[in-house]
Amino acid sequence: MELFSSTFQSLENALNYSNTKQKVISQNIANSDTPNYKAKEVDKTQSFKAELGSFLKSYRTDERHYTFKSEGGHASPIVFQKNVQYNNNGNSVDVDKEMTDLAANQIYYNAVSDRLSGKFQSLENVIRGGK
Amino acid sequence: MGIFQSMKMAGSSLTSQRLRMDVISANMANADTTRAEYDAELKTWKPYTRKAVVLQSKEEDFSSFLNAASGKTSGIGNGVKVTGIVKDRTPFELDYNPEHPDSNENGYVEMPNVDPLREMVDLMSVTRSYEANVTVLNASKGMMMKALEIGK
Repeated sequence: MELFSSTFQSLENALNYSNTKQKVISQNIANSDTPNYKAKEVDKTQSFKAELGSFLKSYRTDERHYTFKSEGGHASPIVFQKNVQYNNNGNSVDVDKEMTDLAANQIYYNAVSDRLSGKFQSLENVIRGGK
Repeated sequence: MGIFQSMKMAGSSLTSQRLRMDVISANMANADTTRAEYDAELKTWKPYTRKAVVLQSKEEDFSSFLNAASGKTSGIGNGVKVTGIVKDRTPFELDYNPEHPDSNENGYVEMPNVDPLREMVDLMSVTRSYEANVTVLNASKGMMMKALEIGK
């Protein structure tokens, strides 16, 4: 029997997702005045692994060349926002949307880390035999 | 990609917005300056030229695209940077003021191409962007503090 259930893994993934999302929101808001900047978002539907290598192939004529496929084979979950309107300066950051996402993401992160703490606490409770 | 990346990104934007505010201050302060540069050849003074900050996303260079393509980095970017401060090419305004020491033979004075109204609008935009980035910074900070409490 495993000491750590798969819930820990799930919660860790959720924290990672939330952390990535926080970075993307930071980047979008930081560039809200940058001409021609296109807003990004985290793609939830795509699995965080795999995919890469299927669309970008590099032909190596020398073994010292870099490959496009990285060791882990992680594809970037960062995509450009679709169906958005651009400002006159080519910028597509919707500050209202980003600030809303920021608030939601913060609460989500707090909830997940709270649950993670709860899991650890119940584990500790079991280890101490309920005393 | 460190855990402080989101804070760095917000920080880079705070710096850029602060610089924009400095440039706007300079523009406003010199809205009536008729002697900013001395033209040694013509032996005349030139009025102040409006300046503007050029912002660029800190990701649009070759190495970041390569790293994103090879999956080494996530391709999020690293905030924003200032590429330069450029001069506004809008022609100077001509004011009729024959008593002015810098007026030409027809009595017209070249005034700076600074529009205080436009500067005020830009200033509001800067203030709002700065506030938004402070909010992001606080949110990131709060999340990190929360993460430190895991397991306690």
